[in-house]
Amino acid sequence: MYDNKRLALSIFWAVFGVVLMALSIAEVLDSLYAGMGGALTAVGVLQIIRNLRYRRDPEYQEKIDTEVNDERNRFLRMKSWSWAGYIAIMVEGIGVIAATILGNDTVRTMLSYSVCLILCAYWISYLILSRKY
Amino acid sequence: MKNRIEEIRNSRGIRQEELAGLMGVSRQTISSLENGRYNPSILLAHKIAAYFGMTIEEVFIFGEE
Repeated sequence: MYDNKRLALSIFWAVFGVVLMALSIAEVLDSLYAGMGGALTAVGVLQIIRNLRYRRDPEYQEKIDTEVNDERNRFLRMKSWSWAGYIAIMVEGIGVIAATILGNDTVRTMLSYSVCLILCAYWISYLILSRKY
Repeated sequence: MKNRIEEIRNSRGIRQEELAGLMGVSRQTISSLENGRYNPSILLAHKIAAYFGMTIEEVFIFGEE
């Protein structure tokens, strides 16, 4: 699961985070980027640690492989994404109505576009998957 | 879909963890299968049945949900 590509990507995020923090401290970038950099570094370092442990500890490797490949976990991940999509589209739909009532045209337009984008993504995905399966 | 996994597993003195390890799934998956909360893929069903030396029909009881 944790291959060299993932390790390289983790190192990239950690280094990118450090660069963002350094530029922010040097006042080249806004202080907002320091927080973002810190978060990226933390995630990157955590992933590097997990990656190295995966390579060195066979028990941990087996545990992670089972978690990732477990068919119930895969089913739950798919189901969760499906629910998240439904919830997002419902919330955005309610947001469009609320923005219309409140007269906020910018928010209404943005949310409407977002709903359209999700629906388009759904139909494109459906078409691609129906050809594949 | 109902199944006889728990009954067969207990009769052979196998723990959930052991069966999960042999099937390459988590213990929670075995627990969910036994409770009927999760229906397995045909591959997992075949793997479990083959491990018990039985047919899928002998382990899993097919019926309308």
